[in-house]
Amino acid sequence: MGNGLLLLNSAVLNDLEAIRSFTNDQIKSLDISELDTYDILLATTEAVTNILLHGYQNQPGWIEIEIRTQDNLVTILIRDKAPSFDPTQVPPPALEIPLEERPLGRMGVYLIKQCMDKMLHRDLPTGGNELTLVKKYVSNYV
Amino acid sequence: MEILVEQAKGKVPVTILKLQGELDGSNYLDVISKAKELYHAGTRDILLDMSQVNFMSSAGLVALHSIALLMRGDSPEDPESGWEVFHAIDRDRESGVQKHMKLLNPQPKVVSTLHKTGMDVFFDIHQNLQMAISSF
Repeated sequence: MGNGLLLLNSAVLNDLEAIRSFTNDQIKSLDISELDTYDILLATTEAVTNILLHGYQNQPGWIEIEIRTQDNLVTILIRDKAPSFDPTQVPPPALEIPLEERPLGRMGVYLIKQCMDKMLHRDLPTGGNELTLVKKYVSNYV
Repeated sequence: MEILVEQAKGKVPVTILKLQGELDGSNYLDVISKAKELYHAGTRDILLDMSQVNFMSSAGLVALHSIALLMRGDSPEDPESGWEVFHAIDRDRESGVQKHMKLLNPQPKVVSTLHKTGMDVFFDIHQNLQMAISSF
């Protein structure tokens, strides 16, 4: 079991690579398959990108990323102080309807759902959002 | 992200845009800007060498699609207006594989992003440089 915390007081899109590096550092000792590792990095990137672009309107903003590992599960908690937004309620992109009718950001959320096993949202009591992403990973040694 | 440009000659002149690094929301506009610059300089057929791209988020998909539209002579939707660019991607998927923008050697991880979003059917993917150039 492990825990890691990354706090960015004024996160911007240029921090995405550093966020992936932090995430990778937290999980690399777990012998997670390369594909599962990539899924986790992709989901984290999409979640933070949505917060920065839509929650903070591409302005610097506070983001905290906590990573917990236990029992073949990687849990990533992403907290922000942006206006309340629940991405779990975003419906999947339906290819049979005109895309003009689709809300923004849906492709990123769709990728998160494709990559992770569970996505949960809650409004923080002090304001802002907490997004929880859970991945049950496959060990390289299985 | 490093962006390198080379010129090649097949049946038509082909510009090779070699991307190196991680393609995400922090740099996808740089890639689109470079493609616009090339288009205005006369490029009409472009091969994106993705062999050195070890990460691509949905922002990268926006870049790929914008370049495909550019090479077709269409005006790409403003990527800064949001992910509405995917509207056009979906319309184009019905029109088939793009003829003037192709991909070279994307890593399996990057292909997985294309596949998860159904965009793999939209791009002609090659493994061999000479065959890719002669396919235009």
